[in-house]
Amino acid sequence: MSGEERISRKLMIAATMLFFKSHRSPGVRGWELKNRLGKNYMKILELLNHKLNELGLQIKTVFEDESSQDLDRARFYITLTHPLTMSDLVTSDYRIDEVAALAITLSIIFSRGGKASLRDVLEILETKFPKWKAETYIERAIRRGYINKSEDDVLSIGWRTRVELDQKELLKAIIEAQPQPEKTNKDVQEDTQE
Amino acid sequence: MYNRVARKYSREEIERIISVCENIEKRGLDPFSIDVKELLSRLRRILEENPDLDYYMLDAETIYKIATVIALQHKWLTEKAKSLFIDSQLITSRLTILDKKSIVQAFLKAWRPIISIEQLTSQRLHHGLEHFLSLPPRRDERTYGWKLTEKEIELSKIYLEKEREEIEEKMRSLYSELIGKTREKGEIDYWEFVSKPSIEETYDRAYILSFLISEGYVEVKKNPLKNELKLIPNTEKVPRKNTASLVINLTGGAK
Repeated sequence: MSGEERISRKLMIAATMLFFKSHRSPGVRGWELKNRLGKNYMKILELLNHKLNELGLQIKTVFEDESSQDLDRARFYITLTHPLTMSDLVTSDYRIDEVAALAITLSIIFSRGGKASLRDVLEILETKFPKWKAETYIERAIRRGYINKSEDDVLSIGWRTRVELDQKELLKAIIEAQPQPEKTNKDVQEDTQE
Repeated sequence: MYNRVARKYSREEIERIISVCENIEKRGLDPFSIDVKELLSRLRRILEENPDLDYYMLDAETIYKIATVIALQHKWLTEKAKSLFIDSQLITSRLTILDKKSIVQAFLKAWRPIISIEQLTSQRLHHGLEHFLSLPPRRDERTYGWKLTEKEIELSKIYLEKEREEIEEKMRSLYSELIGKTREKGEIDYWEFVSKPSIEETYDRAYILSFLISEGYVEVKKNPLKNELKLIPNTEKVPRKNTASLVINLTGGAK
């Protein structure tokens, strides 16, 4: 097998490992990639990342301990490089209400230093949703891995949030966001005619 | 007397400090909401007033809790720096003002969801099959394992063919019986047709009739108001365009 063929095969193995979920949660540990791809696995990942970028995807590395930056214990994921649009969201399996509840919950947790009591979060969620819906969305976010709930009903950041969310960007976007102007009767009529 | 009361208050004060520190740790409250310097001076004063082993032990525990709060203060500062020192009250008020759509639009700017595929690969399927075939037989009589010999496969094919012919024969016989019984009215009550003195025979007729219905030789008309089920035979096989399931409980209706 030539060198080029070997690299191409390793790229395929890396892509399969990263795309297909082989554990309960997505992502692959560095040592698993090392076992299959060899000690130069980071070079293969760099190559794959370059190819994925062309498709609007990227390889994201999440360290178990930020201070040690141990690659073997880190988890590698494939995420989007660009933000989704509202129409993308409509076609996904997320409901807009659910995403709004998730955004509110995570913003509160981020702004309070990584922890917030469930009661405080529900209090704010209940200004937008009925209580039962707010509780359902919180439970769903816990199941999806976005937040953790302790025995004392304290919410903290979950593994998925660490992978998918840019904390600074979210808080900045919330501060800068402008409420949508309420539609007048004329606007509604125009929308209907369209 | 005075000393005892003073000791009691001192002890309560230390316990209160411990509880405040624990609350901050468990509930994720702002660790800067307490003045550590002031707590330490209070602790020193209490210890100087009560120099005994009991207080030394309590003091050690309190110092540990205060140290935990200082560690939390460090973490809090790091997190705050990450969140650009944005005040939580400001975020809360923004979230209250904004409508859901604006919140979602803000969230989308910071969200890069994970892409993963949940699907069986041929390789995984092969692993599964290998594992399945390597499993030991569950009962003593299945000592031959899961793999059938060619002879066993041949025998099972013959058996299945014979069973199919038997059912087809029974279907033909039951269909002609139904045609005969519905010649006058064009329909017959399900239970009147199916029921026989022996329960086995009733079950057998209902089973064969279900094939005739599925195949399109017989129609079933249900009247939920009168709780009636009528059978109407077709003169020839009618292909089914819209299929539906109908559950008939024989134990409840068989006579």
